[in-house]
Amino acid sequence: MRQWQRRRLVGYAFVGPVFLFLCAVVVFPLSHAFWISLHRTRGLATRFSGTDNYHRALTDEAFWHALGVSVQFTGACVALHMLIGLCLALLLNEIRFAKTALRVAFLTPWMVAPAVGATIWLWLLEPQFGVVNYLLGAIGVIDTPLAWLGTPKLAFMSVVAVDVWRGVPFVMLLILAGLQTIPRDQYEAASIDGAGPWQRFRYITLPNLRYLLVVASTLDIINTIRHYDIIGVMTAGGPAGATEVLPVLLYNTAFRGNRFGEAAAIGVLLLLIVLAFAIFHIRLTRPEHGSAP
Amino acid sequence: MRRSRYVDAARWVLVLVSLLLVMFPFYWMLNTSLKPASEIFLSPPTFISPNWSLDAYVTVLTQRPFARYFLNSLVVTLGTTVLSVTLAAFAAYGFTRFFPRGATPFVVFLLFTKMLPETLLIIPYFQLMSSVGLLNSYLALILAYSSFALPFSVWMLIGFFRSIPRDIDEAAKIDGASYLQTFFLVILPLARPGLVAVALFTFLIAWNSYLWALVLTTDASMHVLSVGVANMVGEYRVQWNELMAAAVIAAAPVMLLFSFLEKHLVNAITSGAVKG
Repeated sequence: MRQWQRRRLVGYAFVGPVFLFLCAVVVFPLSHAFWISLHRTRGLATRFSGTDNYHRALTDEAFWHALGVSVQFTGACVALHMLIGLCLALLLNEIRFAKTALRVAFLTPWMVAPAVGATIWLWLLEPQFGVVNYLLGAIGVIDTPLAWLGTPKLAFMSVVAVDVWRGVPFVMLLILAGLQTIPRDQYEAASIDGAGPWQRFRYITLPNLRYLLVVASTLDIINTIRHYDIIGVMTAGGPAGATEVLPVLLYNTAFRGNRFGEAAAIGVLLLLIVLAFAIFHIRLTRPEHGSAP
Repeated sequence: MRRSRYVDAARWVLVLVSLLLVMFPFYWMLNTSLKPASEIFLSPPTFISPNWSLDAYVTVLTQRPFARYFLNSLVVTLGTTVLSVTLAAFAAYGFTRFFPRGATPFVVFLLFTKMLPETLLIIPYFQLMSSVGLLNSYLALILAYSSFALPFSVWMLIGFFRSIPRDIDEAAKIDGASYLQTFFLVILPLARPGLVAVALFTFLIAWNSYLWALVLTTDASMHVLSVGVANMVGEYRVQWNELMAAAVIAAAPVMLLFSFLEKHLVNAITSGAVKG
């Protein structure tokens, strides 16, 4: 055997296991999901049903409603993540004391399981004995206790708030890392030219961060639009479907409604949405140029 | 000079207020978990109580199956982490050393896999696992968790292995080391910070995962912590002090782990996630 052939074989031995494993735990289940989306099960009989499930999903009002809620939820969450994350990062960037400790403290909501974080918030927002109602009442913001998860509007705002609480730290850390790459002499030069804080932000910080902000928000959109746990735990899509985002509709269709074919079809449609952003994201970061990860 | 001191003070005030908002839910979780049941429904609620005790923790660990849930979480999470990081180390070495050009399409493939909606994958997993009778087994959970943990760890490790110069491999080869020797004795020790970071992260995402275990465990004794905690909300009369004690038990391990290894955490996020 020639040297290069032997070398290639050794290479296969190193990457082979992961390849097979990924096929088993990702590629195969994913293809099976497609298969399920093209079949209909009644009792013990499963038969090919073509695009019936897709047709059913796309003509069902619930799908379009969930898509609308998903767009609103993702839009609100990502906008707030980026805005608050940017503000916090600018704030923390100037602080030298207890730098890492502060960062880790801010990161805590992101470290805790979303399902557990959502459970904590269920207790905070409890209508009768929850501390949020008590505190807001004590400082005079509200007169009567609110049922935070009881009315459509409030419930939507509540799940957005919890997702913001959980999602901001991560974005903040990304932006902080970005801020540190901005050369300090740019700021010094601007100061000498008499630029104020706002001008420095507008003409140095923002242009330098632009790429990072676009990358981070795409990534954040992908992560938020497919996220299930927080809404699943807090409202399961209620009240009256006000928080029923696509992943929640999918879960409810499959595991409450027992309509797996239709759920898989909804999942494939959700996948297409995610894929569109993923392609944009990958084109943007261009791993083929050796920048990833 | 004087003005910047005021600005500094204002900055600190803002930081502390935000920190208070961010951390308050955790304080309230801890506070509630330490209260006796009789004090939960007091109005106004108590922020500090002379009656604080560990009773709720004892109840949760002895009268409820949370010790078992902790064990389940630990077995599944450690199993997933060891499996993923081991396989990932081999693959990262293989790709960066033997197929450097193939590494790029593979990384793109991994990025796509990382972005799959788990709610979609959960359906085939549920059907496949129930048809082969693997519901309520550690094996099913470890396999399911690998579907998100493995792409993630391979992707991160390829980045770390790329940063180890190829000259080192050549030097080892000239010294007569085989590929396996080079891998185990030269490259792995050099990649140790990367391995630690990736293992930590894999541990974190596996420990915090919820939906997979929710769907793949129907037997209450096989739940993991996140599912056990969230399920208590559905009880007829929620014992909030016990529920918060359970939440502390679920959250404490990752918090402790990461407060000890804060540097790794911050480095891994900023090096890994920015670009992808």
